[in-house]
Amino acid sequence: MKERFNINNELKELEIKPDDTLLNALRNNGYTEVKRGCDEGECGACLVLLEGKPVNSCQVLVMSARDKNIKTVKGIGTIHMPHILQKSFIEAGADQCGFCSPGMIIASYDLLSRNNNPTREEILEALDGNLCRCTGYVKIIDAVQKAAVQLQKHK
Amino acid sequence: MLPENVQWYFPSTLREASKLIQKEGIILHAGGTRILKTQTKSIKGLVEISGLGLNYIKNNKNKISIGAGSTFADVVAYNRATKQLPMLAKALHQAASTPLRNRITIGGSLKDFPLWSSLYAPLLALNAKVKVTGEAVGIYSIEDYVTKNIIKKNHIVKEIIIKEEPGLIADIKRFSLIKFEYPLFTIAAAFKVKNFIVQNARFYITGVKSRFKRFKRAESIFINKQITSELIENSIKFINPKFPSDYKYSSDYKETVSKVNFNDLLTELRKKVV
Repeated sequence: MKERFNINNELKELEIKPDDTLLNALRNNGYTEVKRGCDEGECGACLVLLEGKPVNSCQVLVMSARDKNIKTVKGIGTIHMPHILQKSFIEAGADQCGFCSPGMIIASYDLLSRNNNPTREEILEALDGNLCRCTGYVKIIDAVQKAAVQLQKHK
Repeated sequence: MLPENVQWYFPSTLREASKLIQKEGIILHAGGTRILKTQTKSIKGLVEISGLGLNYIKNNKNKISIGAGSTFADVVAYNRATKQLPMLAKALHQAASTPLRNRITIGGSLKDFPLWSSLYAPLLALNAKVKVTGEAVGIYSIEDYVTKNIIKKNHIVKEIIIKEEPGLIADIKRFSLIKFEYPLFTIAAAFKVKNFIVQNARFYITGVKSRFKRFKRAESIFINKQITSELIENSIKFINPKFPSDYKYSSDYKETVSKVNFNDLLTELRKKVV
């Protein structure tokens, strides 16, 4: 069956199954930047913004997301025009294997869109649903703080 | 896994949704987190209710109504803006993670009542009511909702109602070894205090064999008295929850830890009164 979604500001009709999760539906339709990690809503690799809020796409049934706005990490910035946050992740060395990065960036993007001067505690709270097994988190938190400073300068 | 041919329904009214769930195998879908966890093959249909206008939190003459479609994150955000639901927001803020709190709804969590629920203890201590429609239409205390088995009937939770009580001092504690883990239990205590004297008290725990327990003997020790450390010590003798054992923790261990947590919680509340 086909259903409509607004993905990264483009209206799309995706081929889906009624028992699909949003994660499966996105990946099966080419949005492989949304990563499959635990499939249980614990690792955050599959985060997307649904109606502007970060959700674990593995914990959302796709039919409940039809006609809604979805943003993946590719909707935030591209390889040629990266978002300040994505640049900061690179500059701070906040990714190693990079598998958690899309989810980390989605969660951080949501935080910075609500709060452009977060404390370290607020960053930890915003990333409480994201696991990283390489970096030890320190550089990720540095990257978010760095991006916040840059975003304030751009305002 | 859900059946491949699961049928989706998108009713435009609660009445329509109520009718749909009377059929066998058809259940409500709001946030969907619990449905995905249980993955029941027997589900034949899902009734999407997120578009039925149940996502609201409003305060009308000191009566706060929380629509069943409100997420845990909505309650936390409401409290940040208004400071009107501190205990409930604290409990819900500690549950799961940011992205999951954006999906878990009050209604779904109330209806499912998982053993690790962080929702029930604060609602019980706040003497909240639940408004339901469907087979069991009416307004019930949270206690009645569970003990009179309304929870098992085909119904839709419409809203939670919390009446603000002047002089209420309340707080919760949630015990888990690591933050992300499901709590072993959640305890909540509320004192209604006037001129430093306790007029009423409510102590609850969830995560126990009977789902929740109220400690009336422990509460009664404080009535018409000032809260003192001696009274707290005496009351702890009557904190006697019965926990299920599991592969990690014995029931005795959980009981001991719950007593320590109650002692800490009541001591913190005493400081707030003084």
